[in-house]
Amino acid sequence: MNQSGSQSIEQATTAIQAQPDSKTRRYDRQLRLWAASGQAALESSRILVLSASATSTSILKNLVLPGIGHFTILDPGTVTGADAGNNFFLNGFSSIGKSRAKEALPLLKELNDSVDGEAAVKSVEEILGSAEGRQWVKSFSLVITHNLPQTPLDALSKLLWEELEDPPLIVVRSAGFLADFYIQFREQCIIESHDETAPPSLRLTKPFPALQEWATNLDISNIDPTEHAHIPFIVLLIKEADQWRSEHNGSLPKTYDEKKEFKKHIRSRMVKMDEENFEEAENQAFRMWSEAKIPSDIAALFDLEPLQQPISSSSTSQPNGVTKSPHKLNPEFHALLQALHKFVTSPDGPGCLPLSASLPDMKTDTTSYVKLQTIYKDWAAVELAKFKEILKAEYPDLTIDKAVVDSFVKHAHQIKVLRGKRFGSWEEDKTAVAQALDSYPQETATRLALNALSTLLHHNPDPTSITAEALKTEVQSQVGQGVELPSSLDDAVGELARAPTADLPNTAAFVGGMIAQEAIKMITKQYVPVNGYCVVDLVESKTGIIAN
Amino acid sequence: MAAVNGNATSSDWDDRYYHIDQILDRPGPRTDPSFQAGDDVKKFLRNKCKILVIGAGGLGCEILANLALSGFKDIHVIDMDTIDISNLNRQFLFRPKDVGKPKAIVAAEFIMNRVPGVKVTPYFGKIQDKDEDYYMQFNIIVCGLDSVEARRWINATLVNMVDDDNPESLKPLIDGGTEGFKGQARVILPQLTSCYECSLDMLNKPTAFPICTIANTPRLPEHCIEWASVLEWPRVYGDKRLDTDDPEHINWLYNIALKRAKEFKIEGVTWSLTQGVVKNIIPAIASTNAIIAASCCNEAFKIATSAAAYLNNYFMLIGTDGVYSYTFEHERRKDCPVCGGESLDITVGKEWTVERLIEMLVEKEDIQIKRPSLSTSKKQIYFQAPPQLEQATRPNLEMKVSELLEDGDEITVTSSTLPFNLSLRIKYT
Repeated sequence: MNQSGSQSIEQATTAIQAQPDSKTRRYDRQLRLWAASGQAALESSRILVLSASATSTSILKNLVLPGIGHFTILDPGTVTGADAGNNFFLNGFSSIGKSRAKEALPLLKELNDSVDGEAAVKSVEEILGSAEGRQWVKSFSLVITHNLPQTPLDALSKLLWEELEDPPLIVVRSAGFLADFYIQFREQCIIESHDETAPPSLRLTKPFPALQEWATNLDISNIDPTEHAHIPFIVLLIKEADQWRSEHNGSLPKTYDEKKEFKKHIRSRMVKMDEENFEEAENQAFRMWSEAKIPSDIAALFDLEPLQQPISSSSTSQPNGVTKSPHKLNPEFHALLQALHKFVTSPDGPGCLPLSASLPDMKTDTTSYVKLQTIYKDWAAVELAKFKEILKAEYPDLTIDKAVVDSFVKHAHQIKVLRGKRFGSWEEDKTAVAQALDSYPQETATRLALNALSTLLHHNPDPTSITAEALKTEVQSQVGQGVELPSSLDDAVGELARAPTADLPNTAAFVGGMIAQEAIKMITKQYVPVNGYCVVDLVESKTGIIAN
Repeated sequence: MAAVNGNATSSDWDDRYYHIDQILDRPGPRTDPSFQAGDDVKKFLRNKCKILVIGAGGLGCEILANLALSGFKDIHVIDMDTIDISNLNRQFLFRPKDVGKPKAIVAAEFIMNRVPGVKVTPYFGKIQDKDEDYYMQFNIIVCGLDSVEARRWINATLVNMVDDDNPESLKPLIDGGTEGFKGQARVILPQLTSCYECSLDMLNKPTAFPICTIANTPRLPEHCIEWASVLEWPRVYGDKRLDTDDPEHINWLYNIALKRAKEFKIEGVTWSLTQGVVKNIIPAIASTNAIIAASCCNEAFKIATSAAAYLNNYFMLIGTDGVYSYTFEHERRKDCPVCGGESLDITVGKEWTVERLIEMLVEKEDIQIKRPSLSTSKKQIYFQAPPQLEQATRPNLEMKVSELLEDGDEITVTSSTLPFNLSLRIKYT
């Protein structure tokens, strides 16, 4: 930074400010969502997709365009007339008879020169049959399957649940207008959830020293009218709260009447009719009722034990597992979480989440706003330093990227942790199925019908063998004979019997978009992925979730 | 059957429609009895149905590909834009070599090359260039636009086209829109369902900064950028038009905004923010466009074939926190200026000037008319154009509405950007 302000202005205006480079321009519309950090995560990701079906290539299209690092299509099949008719990433008639994976590859790669792609013309059984193949599958950052038959799917989902660090698996199934998907993952730690519902605290009820000092020194009745109309609402509220506390044994308004009274006090200090800053203070007074508490969903995270690899399970997968000491998943994030816990409980700390430097716009003049912004920023830096001290004292051997620590503290009000379940564990839990049938009958019916379809096609791949009756019988046998099934099951099995093997272009595109959204969320660790089964019904143009 | 493009061997191979035909050969449990499974519906879809796609951008590219694969063979597409490098992260029919070329033409060629037997007819221009006769030739119209103005225009045009004696005059309009991880798709049956205008108040209003903040008390980097574009550009360049697609212009604004920001010690003016503010950029990704375009095309397919009931009438998706969607029937507005019969009541203060009334019409969420002209059946109140009329009616701007109009009087509001008149009934507080 330049010492002299005038010099830096000159510098800024004389320096030729080129527009961003071509990569930034190409990705401009998505960088506004997940920024450079999200983009870097995408670019270092490696994704394995099982099958080159219309749905699979739709998913890949939406991942190649935003710029993942690498993809591999695993598909042993050759292009049929049916494939050439419903898949945009095949060369129509001329692809028929050639390898599906190899035909799709160049048409996907040409969407983005910076993405690396590969076609693996092998069966999943062959891959899973060798130790080398299993290791290869685990080398990806994410694995996605579409309509993978039950036996290899079970083997794959179990393989990717062996060790804590195994990549997440997205299981996609579709037939006709119906589809569902599930993300199998151990734990998703999210710093930037982009959750806009709970903005960071402004510390109005627990002002830090510089802020308190401003309010204390303000002599509201003794300033000129222009200045009066430009006092930031933040300062007005703190001032009013001080006054209120002194008259109410140190407590803030609690009852409805008290709150009304408090607002009336603010209004009474207006010297003119339309002082917008006072109106703003009145509108924002709700912040004084319970402002600086630690949000309960974040407090709940402090009790979360990190996931730990049990010795027994790792020793089954590798012969020398006995010598391996148990280790934890996402150790950095959990260290940050525990440091945050220490920070908020520290006796010389603020007793709430660290201050965020960001300030909303408000009715005030430039000087006051910039002054306010500066004192918020300065205090946020003080608390950040304190957080870092705690982190260092608690975890002296851990080095965490500075940018990650800064981001964690900045977004402390929106952090989230999701814990997932193994694919298929829902079906094994009869109580969960019964509850889901009760709470989400239509979604559950569709999911069970897709399960039944998968089983029936596994035993007899001839689609003409699929009838609504057969599907219903299979569903009943899977959930247990005594369980009552919802009437919407007839709709689901009827629709599947109509089109048991149809990969419709629109369903493929719809599901392709949804899976890509979820994959992006999993990889960037921004925004919040689905934790549970997502069910799609394009007859009724509906989606629903059976929560985990 | 006549192959429109290519020859029979390359466009009608065995099993080409294996997937789609599973749906078209038999009904499902929820299919309407009027569905005629088999050859009739296939013939209509593949040989007779003519569909128009408006917009060949983020949604348009996806829509064209889905329609082509679904079996629509006579597709028309309109787009007035040329390809920009920032389109390439999602508009998957375009390559770097296509930058600068018309979207409609490049997209049409791509689809015809990739999906044999499909004819895509492009028009590189504005929807307003075409008249009712043109729109009358289509069975269905699918819209993937980013402009509210253009949507209002096509919506009003299609509603006006409805002639009760001619069922063919009712053109289903399917409209999609996205922003980041969120989007919506809807089916509009003009005069039967709620129309685009009925739901205008659901739009997020773009953030507008008061001029006095921009001029006197800037606080945010956005205020400095607005100062550069709204105040400094016209001061320095006079009538020269600001071209937000010209990087030189953005550069100039950026530097001016940066200078002002330094002067006021405001942080955060960047090139990207400058561009975002002046172009009102909405984040856009391939995956969300894929979902919404697929939903639109699924509805087009269902309307064309009756293979399943179409959406009644609104699908909304939010993908930021898990997957949340909401499917519901948006209700018609009886006082909708486009499809409702009743005039809209507006409440006006006795002391209001005509100018204040105009400001209100521009701002009000269910009206949002740019540059409105006002008149009654008896007199002209204010006209934005032509210049002579503007000059003649300008003195009225200063007058009180109550000096010109009685309580309960109806005024007609027109605007060059909208193909309809808005009837308002004045009520005084």
